[in-house]
Amino acid sequence: MSGARVAWAVLRKDLLLDLRSRDRAGHMGVFAFLVVALLSITLPESPEAAGAWVPALLWILLLLTSILGLARSFAAESEAGAVATLAGVACDRGWVFLGKAGANLIALLALQLWVAVLAAVFLDVRWEAAGWRAAAVGALGALGLASVGTLLAALSVSVRAREFLLPVLLFPLVLPVLVICARLTAESLGGDPTPGLWWGVLGLYDWVFVLIGYFVFDHVLED
Amino acid sequence: MVSLFVGGAVLAVSGWLVWLSRGREHRGHSVAGLLALAALLLWAWMVAFHAPVERAQGLVQKIFYVHVPCVIPAYLGFGLTALAGIGFLRSRNESWDRLAAASAEVGVVFCSLILATGPIWAKPVWGHWWVWDLRLTSTLVLWFIYLAYLLLRGFAFGSDTARTFTAVYGIVGTAAIPFVYFAVDLARGDTLHPSNPAREGLPAAMSETLGAGMVAFVLVFGFLTARRLAAARLESDLLEASERSPVG
Repeated sequence: MSGARVAWAVLRKDLLLDLRSRDRAGHMGVFAFLVVALLSITLPESPEAAGAWVPALLWILLLLTSILGLARSFAAESEAGAVATLAGVACDRGWVFLGKAGANLIALLALQLWVAVLAAVFLDVRWEAAGWRAAAVGALGALGLASVGTLLAALSVSVRAREFLLPVLLFPLVLPVLVICARLTAESLGGDPTPGLWWGVLGLYDWVFVLIGYFVFDHVLED
Repeated sequence: MVSLFVGGAVLAVSGWLVWLSRGREHRGHSVAGLLALAALLLWAWMVAFHAPVERAQGLVQKIFYVHVPCVIPAYLGFGLTALAGIGFLRSRNESWDRLAAASAEVGVVFCSLILATGPIWAKPVWGHWWVWDLRLTSTLVLWFIYLAYLLLRGFAFGSDTARTFTAVYGIVGTAAIPFVYFAVDLARGDTLHPSNPAREGLPAAMSETLGAGMVAFVLVFGFLTARRLAAARLESDLLEASERSPVG
């Protein structure tokens, strides 16, 4: 089977599982809803004061929620004892990584849409002013989270205490994504202008970690 | 001249450690220990008597001779961890894994020293224990990354899979460091932290003391890592022996 078909099969399988069981999506959606509700209650009422914090808070919320999904992203395989089957594909195992990361990317994009709606309703965020820039930041940020997150989820799946370990492994590594995305989102919502270089660094981060994931996954899925 | 000595010490120590990790013999530990001790004594003498007391900051400036030299063994440790990780993934030779473990642990010790000594200096000079500035934040994140690395090691101990995972995390963590540095730089803008070029203008006695500290700390790093390597070798021998003849 060609690599692209393997990646597509893995991606399709993961998304189908998500659609049919709705476990992962349900948990993530409810969790995000709860946190946005908490934010809207606890943030100060004056819109200027709250507005300065909202982009950073939303990105932290996305990171926390993504942990819930990422931690489960190899659960189906490991519970069914099918990790070895995945490892036995007749192509470069990097393609399995691309499929898994693709499924996580789509899940994260759906989560972002949901959070954007929640933020518009409860936190008064005006996305129509932000336009395509906010969407582009979201996509690039989701790609960074999905690539690093998928790789680390695969690392921590066979380790004990993985629920505890995954955030500890992930947070320091995705700090650049979080910092840059929060600033760019703030800019798109009318905050301080940011240099164009930031977009380049964000894109480079995504590119580097997709490549690293592709190449080291061969070792990760070995057994 | 100072950087020549420091560079030489770094190269010699990393070469020695790689050589040690490959072989079965543990030669040269006592020589390395004595060298490190002598260098430490010389450095301590220079800090106390050779380097002048700085006019504006007073005695507290002397912590600079502890703080700055720690940076080299910390980065050396993390660099060796990533290199040994690549070596392990390529060759599957356990000796690379032991080198990665030993240098990460000792690197974290020096990184902790950087983080501990910085605030002691910053409180009287800046008026704050901690500011969210480029150098401080990126060093803290680096420390978090290697702490996570050691946690992963602790949770996944012994198997070949565990070695692979830690090697991968070591490589991924090192790849993230430039991005962390860049992101924090972009986000925080101006830095309060004294920059490297400021060191060029140091009086000779100060830069000599600093250089002596760097060489001494690199030697201490080499000695500690070598001891840790020997302990790791004993651990794996013990594991093998207990697998061969299980008790009970």
